[in-house]
Amino acid sequence: MRKQMTEMLKGTLEGIVLAVLSGRSAYGYEITARLREQGFSDLVEGTVYALLVRVEQRGFVDVEKIPSEKGPPRKVYSLNAQGREQLDEFWHSWTFLAERIEQLRLTQTEGDK
Amino acid sequence: MVARWIESLTGALEQKKEYRRDKARLDALPEPYRSAAAAMHRYLNYCGGIVDGETLIAMIGDLADLWERAAADGTPLREIVGADPVEFAEAFAQAYEGQHWIDKERARLTEAIDRAEREEGK
Repeated sequence: MRKQMTEMLKGTLEGIVLAVLSGRSAYGYEITARLREQGFSDLVEGTVYALLVRVEQRGFVDVEKIPSEKGPPRKVYSLNAQGREQLDEFWHSWTFLAERIEQLRLTQTEGDK
Repeated sequence: MVARWIESLTGALEQKKEYRRDKARLDALPEPYRSAAAAMHRYLNYCGGIVDGETLIAMIGDLADLWERAAADGTPLREIVGADPVEFAEAFAQAYEGQHWIDKERARLTEAIDRAEREEGK
């Protein structure tokens, strides 16, 4: 179960993070904390950080360095126009997949009867 | 050894300086973050497969940001690397779309299949 969840998350985490950022800008830890609150309890900060690095490299987010009381400045990520486009595409793919998979499940349940 | 290798790769003095500065940031971390960061750095150099200097420098800078933040917040190590550090390091390396040594072989495979396909069409 856990392994399967990890595999499924791999393909969707980018969209999930972009969706979190579409509400408002955030820094890495805030994003991780919010997702953990929502039940992604196994999610670690490093995974989210690696993903943020990736979306930054691909130009989906703008990054601003905000000084913090201790340690290095915090990198605050906000979704830009290109990121919004990517997020739209994600929702589109997600809807397609979710509908087809649900259809499969219904067909299977019918067959079980 | 890695430092000499990177010099031959990057050439540019500015890049070298930046690399050294970021490397020094990793070395200055308090334990256990220093050991974890050093191990990750080694793995990324070894298995990241990245060949262009600019990407390598962006990567080490991000690595330093990550571990300095973790050290400042006192985040437990496992909260950063998760249950499988290898998987984490690889996800991290994959974030960089720089040139990888495997790219040449990938292009070769693609080209070979294209060529074979043309033969098929005849």
